[in-house]
Amino acid sequence: MTTMVSFEQVSKRYAGGVGRYRSLRDELARGYATVLRRPVQEITTVEALRDVSFEVVEGEAIAIIGPNGAGKTTALRIMSRITYPTAGVVRVRGRIGALLEVGTGMHPELTGRENVHLYGRILGLAGRDIARRFEQIIEFAGVADSIDRPVKQYSSGMQLRLGFSVAAHLEPDILVVDEAIAVGDAGFQYRCVERMRELVGEGRTLIFVSHDMSAVETLCDRAILLDHGEITEEGRAGDVIERYLGAVEASRVEEGAPLGMASGDRLELTAVSIRDKAGRRVVEIPSGESMTVRLEYLAREPVEGPIFSVGLADARIGVFSLASMLVDGQVPERLDGSGHVDCTFEALPLYPRTYEVWASVRGAAGFGDLVDWQRVALVRVTGDPAGTGRGAVTHTLADAPVRMPYAWTIESESTR
Amino acid sequence: MSTVAEPGHRNDGPTAATAPPLVELRGGPGGINVAALGELWAFREVLWAFVVRFVKVKYKQAFVGIGWAIIQPVAAALVLAFVLGRLADVPSEGVPYLLFALAGMVGWTYFSTAAGTAMESLVDDRELLRKVYFPRETLPLGAVGAGLVDLGPGLLTLFVFAAAYGELPTLAWLALPLPLVLLVLSAAALGLAFAGLNVYYRDVRYAMPYVLQLGLFLSPVLYPARLIDEPWRTVYEIVNPVAAALDGLRTIVARGDWPDWGVTFAALGWAIMLVLAGYAILKRLERGFADRA
Repeated sequence: MTTMVSFEQVSKRYAGGVGRYRSLRDELARGYATVLRRPVQEITTVEALRDVSFEVVEGEAIAIIGPNGAGKTTALRIMSRITYPTAGVVRVRGRIGALLEVGTGMHPELTGRENVHLYGRILGLAGRDIARRFEQIIEFAGVADSIDRPVKQYSSGMQLRLGFSVAAHLEPDILVVDEAIAVGDAGFQYRCVERMRELVGEGRTLIFVSHDMSAVETLCDRAILLDHGEITEEGRAGDVIERYLGAVEASRVEEGAPLGMASGDRLELTAVSIRDKAGRRVVEIPSGESMTVRLEYLAREPVEGPIFSVGLADARIGVFSLASMLVDGQVPERLDGSGHVDCTFEALPLYPRTYEVWASVRGAAGFGDLVDWQRVALVRVTGDPAGTGRGAVTHTLADAPVRMPYAWTIESESTR
Repeated sequence: MSTVAEPGHRNDGPTAATAPPLVELRGGPGGINVAALGELWAFREVLWAFVVRFVKVKYKQAFVGIGWAIIQPVAAALVLAFVLGRLADVPSEGVPYLLFALAGMVGWTYFSTAAGTAMESLVDDRELLRKVYFPRETLPLGAVGAGLVDLGPGLLTLFVFAAAYGELPTLAWLALPLPLVLLVLSAAALGLAFAGLNVYYRDVRYAMPYVLQLGLFLSPVLYPARLIDEPWRTVYEIVNPVAAALDGLRTIVARGDWPDWGVTFAALGWAIMLVLAGYAILKRLERGFADRA
């Protein structure tokens, strides 16, 4: 196995502070202070990568994932020879084709055609190769009609597509892609992903940075998880994604807790609990089992016809499922003193992840809250990521939450 | 893939036998070495592409276009001929002052434009520095090369004026490439050194116009170098290779004489050392460009 890229205890620090460049005056002031043995004002630094080591072998498709500011882009910029490590050694074998929003470096005064030739050269294509692929490049970018207009008249999307397109037609030994799939409309994204798959299929090495876990799971065999400049997980893409999504969820849960229980003057929700089918208090429910949300109340004075609502939500805005007396009309006549209201969801058709339980109590009129609509509990639905498809892990853990029974039927009307 | 394999198109990845070598990337200051020079050679097409780009960009949306390459030195020479030649009566070695000034201005215009564009080249293209790798010296060198496109029409104009004054080409014109090479080397030395420094300290950007303006007076553009007594004149022309270049250009075109060989070659040697120094400065700073540009 030939090593294509290796990082050996690589650290990268950026000088912090205001402004991107120092003035000569600051530099002289520092020199002056050093000469006079005065304490030099420390330049604050930001550590983008800390002691990072990994290796990528030939023909591998590897993803670097992690939250914003984890150092993913810095790692790519170092292997693309744009910036250099502060400590450690990086080794790279062969030509790197980097798709890092290259279009923004196009020259606005030159035409699309002139930019393609210039850009192709800079990115390492020989003049005759550019000429040979020229039609392909502009067709891929979808700018054939405006190719002889100056790039300053292009929309930003067109510029990005053209830049990406030139880069995509290189035949690099190592393809480095940073979120580039976010460029352009669906058709263009499809062409980009297909081109990446084509290059990987040819045995080229792919290093891919993206927040799109589905794309990562689909394209890559292996993944590295970076957090605050350090590698925290490394391994099979599906496993790393599963742990990453788990950690993201855990931090979301932590952020949300504790779940405040705003109490109305007249009616208060004193406790909310999740119970399984045996009535035991639990924090986890296996997918497919029934779940009961118990709302314990205290009515300080008699309340006529209170309307209870319980909703379920995942990370997205709004609940995806609502059980409300406003809909079913099963409103209690009158509540006084303490007690509880149970809401049971039969056979939870949910994919495994943590869900939020929301609740409110309204007055008999149907509006006017006795208890505000709020998040009152968390429940973890357990189960294995189902399926053997290319995106099984990501989609069961982070995509649409509801699992409905379904079947595919495919009928060919004719064959060619 | 269903496409037919094209020449030079690999359908399988690199094998161990053909695999390109590992390149080591480390932090810290860089330097000039065989690898760096080899890489510059490998990127010669990029250098050429930058030359073409500088030329194209300069004359996009310019109505007179390349005509500016003639208008600038001629207009300057006319004004100088009137003010200095007529009113102040500055000596011009027996050459008509207009021809004398034009020879100086054609050479100086190339030098100052090429060096000035080169010094700004890295800062102007910071987007490119932050997106893609190429040996950074190709940008300032491209600017120095692109200036030659303006020098051509300028020189032609100079030859026409010389002919009008009765100075027809002599055998000495064979030495014409020497002062031109000196000008190119001087522009490259200044351009390389300050293009890199400009990325780190924007002070360069503000100081530059003044430095170039001072240079106009410190070089024998408006006055003959022979105003300075020997041996200081020789020292001056070697230390400031632009002076040797302008003096040489004028001696050849306006007087039909051979240039001073000793001065010319000493200046060439010194200019080459300056280019290496400028190149070393740029290479030393290069690795921090993307973080500071």
